[in-house]
Amino acid sequence: MAASGNLLTFVSADNVHIEVERDVAERSLLIKNMLEDLGEATEDIPIPNVNEPVLRKVIEWCRHHKNDPPASTEDEDSRRKTTDIDEWDQKFTQVDQEMLFEIILAANYLDIKGLLDVGCKTVANMIKGKSPEEIRKTFNIQNDFTPEEEDQIRRENEWAEDR
Amino acid sequence: MVPSLDCFPEELLRSILCYCPPCSTAALEQTARRFRGVTTEPLLWRFYCLSHFKHWAQEHELPEKLAGPISAVDWKSLYISRHLTYRATCHLLDNILANQTGRIDKIRRVIGFGYDAKDALLHNLEVDCEAEDYLARRYYAEALLTCLHRSLAVREWARLRNGEEVSLDRALGAFDLFIPRSNFGSLEEISNELDSIASLMSLNYPGIQQLASRDKARAIAKFLRANNLTGIDAEKEYHCLEHNFLGIALNDPQHNSLPLISATIYCSIARRVGLDARPCGFPFHVHVIVMPPIGHDVDGNAVEVGTQGSPIYMDPFRSERETPVTDLEYQLNFLGATAVEQANFLGESRPSEIVLRCSKNIMNSVQHMAQFPNRRLEPVDVVGAKYAAIWSSMLLSDLARPTEIRHNLLWLMELLATEFPSDIHLVEQYVTPLLRGMPEYEHILESLHVMRAVDEIPKQVKRRFSQRTKIKYQVGQVFRHRRYDYQAIITGWDTECGAGEQWMRRMGIDRLQGGRHQSFYHVLVEDKSVRYVAEENIELMNPEFSDLPPTLVAVAGKHFKKWDEETRTFVSNIKDEYPED
Repeated sequence: MAASGNLLTFVSADNVHIEVERDVAERSLLIKNMLEDLGEATEDIPIPNVNEPVLRKVIEWCRHHKNDPPASTEDEDSRRKTTDIDEWDQKFTQVDQEMLFEIILAANYLDIKGLLDVGCKTVANMIKGKSPEEIRKTFNIQNDFTPEEEDQIRRENEWAEDR
Repeated sequence: MVPSLDCFPEELLRSILCYCPPCSTAALEQTARRFRGVTTEPLLWRFYCLSHFKHWAQEHELPEKLAGPISAVDWKSLYISRHLTYRATCHLLDNILANQTGRIDKIRRVIGFGYDAKDALLHNLEVDCEAEDYLARRYYAEALLTCLHRSLAVREWARLRNGEEVSLDRALGAFDLFIPRSNFGSLEEISNELDSIASLMSLNYPGIQQLASRDKARAIAKFLRANNLTGIDAEKEYHCLEHNFLGIALNDPQHNSLPLISATIYCSIARRVGLDARPCGFPFHVHVIVMPPIGHDVDGNAVEVGTQGSPIYMDPFRSERETPVTDLEYQLNFLGATAVEQANFLGESRPSEIVLRCSKNIMNSVQHMAQFPNRRLEPVDVVGAKYAAIWSSMLLSDLARPTEIRHNLLWLMELLATEFPSDIHLVEQYVTPLLRGMPEYEHILESLHVMRAVDEIPKQVKRRFSQRTKIKYQVGQVFRHRRYDYQAIITGWDTECGAGEQWMRRMGIDRLQGGRHQSFYHVLVEDKSVRYVAEENIELMNPEFSDLPPTLVAVAGKHFKKWDEETRTFVSNIKDEYPED
């Protein structure tokens, strides 16, 4: 199935063909740059690292945000980053942890800054306010410290415990 | 493979951590080995330092740290120390709000943190109206913040007094730190302002560094005049108070300043482009004296080794041209100055002399306020300006002139008691040692001791039910004075007149209908004064919040947490003294 006019065709890792409008697809800098290099895209575009359900979620996000102003060039400055997430994005990220991580990895691979930010903020909010033990539980992290190491690191970080 | 946080690439973890509060990053570090590296990266903690703290004490040398290699600084430790200071500051402020006793020492400890305390104070100052003690919190955060700014100014003048080298812009900028509305909180902020003017000039005159002294001196004057950075606009009143402040002159779009400040701006810019220019002590009108480098004259010609050519004089307030020394000598002759005096007047003025001169100018402007209405400064700043003038004069005056010291001391102690009680530790640290050996020494020690005692002894608890006579009104109610018509808040009461016999006689208390045996009230008035009022003169107002005079609301935080629209009273923050009001 070749793309026609303003429609492109993505092929997911599990070999599913998904049609997507060009302006939506161009939220991904990877795709945008590729299209610029190729000129007209007539071939299917393989997205080898992303499987169908994830790709559909990513496209859903890009479609909703297709009219967003372009992301400001990397503000590597010292402003404190806000973790506010708008309502639509909050709903969008209400998925299981596996899907959330897949979306973040896909956004990273496809270079979709807005989506990557939303994903990172969501994970940051899941870490926020939790004790180390609660964080381990939330993310199923294996504690591989020896008791002595753990004790030492805890002491190093006593300052961070609430008042 | 199911993705998990453990197997995220480092770059993604880094992006996530940028959105995490540092305390959570510290918690993640403790979960597993996998996260130790990324959670302790210096770059991350440098980011936290800069994003969480805007104001840095000069001692940190932050600009140098930022310019150096990242690994040269333990950014995490730095963050932790700032975090702990922040928390300690908030904790001390909470304590000040919670209890009327021991405030002096708590204030001293906050000020001891220096400029590092500013972020915490600003955050408390910006607390919104929903907070249950927002009036008190804002009031004391502001009191601490302004005290902090003053402490930096006073420290600088004390350095000057000790003979340490202090640049002219720091010595004069210190006056601005007494004026909240100058928007300057540290001397570095003023220096930065001058730095940017100097770099703007270097951009405009790329070859300026290579010019000989005379050409450089002219170029600077030309640049400053062209950008209207010196002098006073024709329609402005010369003696206007605001023209005495370096920071205000730099910030103001019209940059109006007296000759002394214009000369300071000139010399500060000159120093930044490698020209030796200093203020000259010419009477009535500060000029600038420009010296060529050793071994040269002002035109760059070599002179005998170890000597230097004659100086030239500039008047950046008035002109971009040089002032011929013969003009100055002519004026001095006209004034009848002796040869020795002339040499003095045409010589360099040290920064401490310029500070004293500025202090006198400010006093002069304050005394002529009525004649010279001022545009920008609000009343609070006039008090601040006067206070700055007294402090600088106190610290830099010649101790051999005790009359001046005595005079200043009276004013200083009065303002300390009425307007700036949080500064008592500054007086103890910087003023009392100067007075040792003078008759005033014991007297000052005694006054300070009394202030301390009042601060340290818990307030006597006053309960309503134990009183036989009925006390009609309550702490927090707003009233209008029946005879004098001012508005005020009740801050305390006595069952009968508790003032001394002399006061009662002077005020004619026994001529009141109820005489001295009626309830009397301590009140806070809209003009910030504190008064003592008989019950019969109180007419309750029951106002809405929006009807209250802003000046009254501004000082209410001294004793009250917030306004209660339902009862139309201020909510007491002095329950330790009046538990039932």
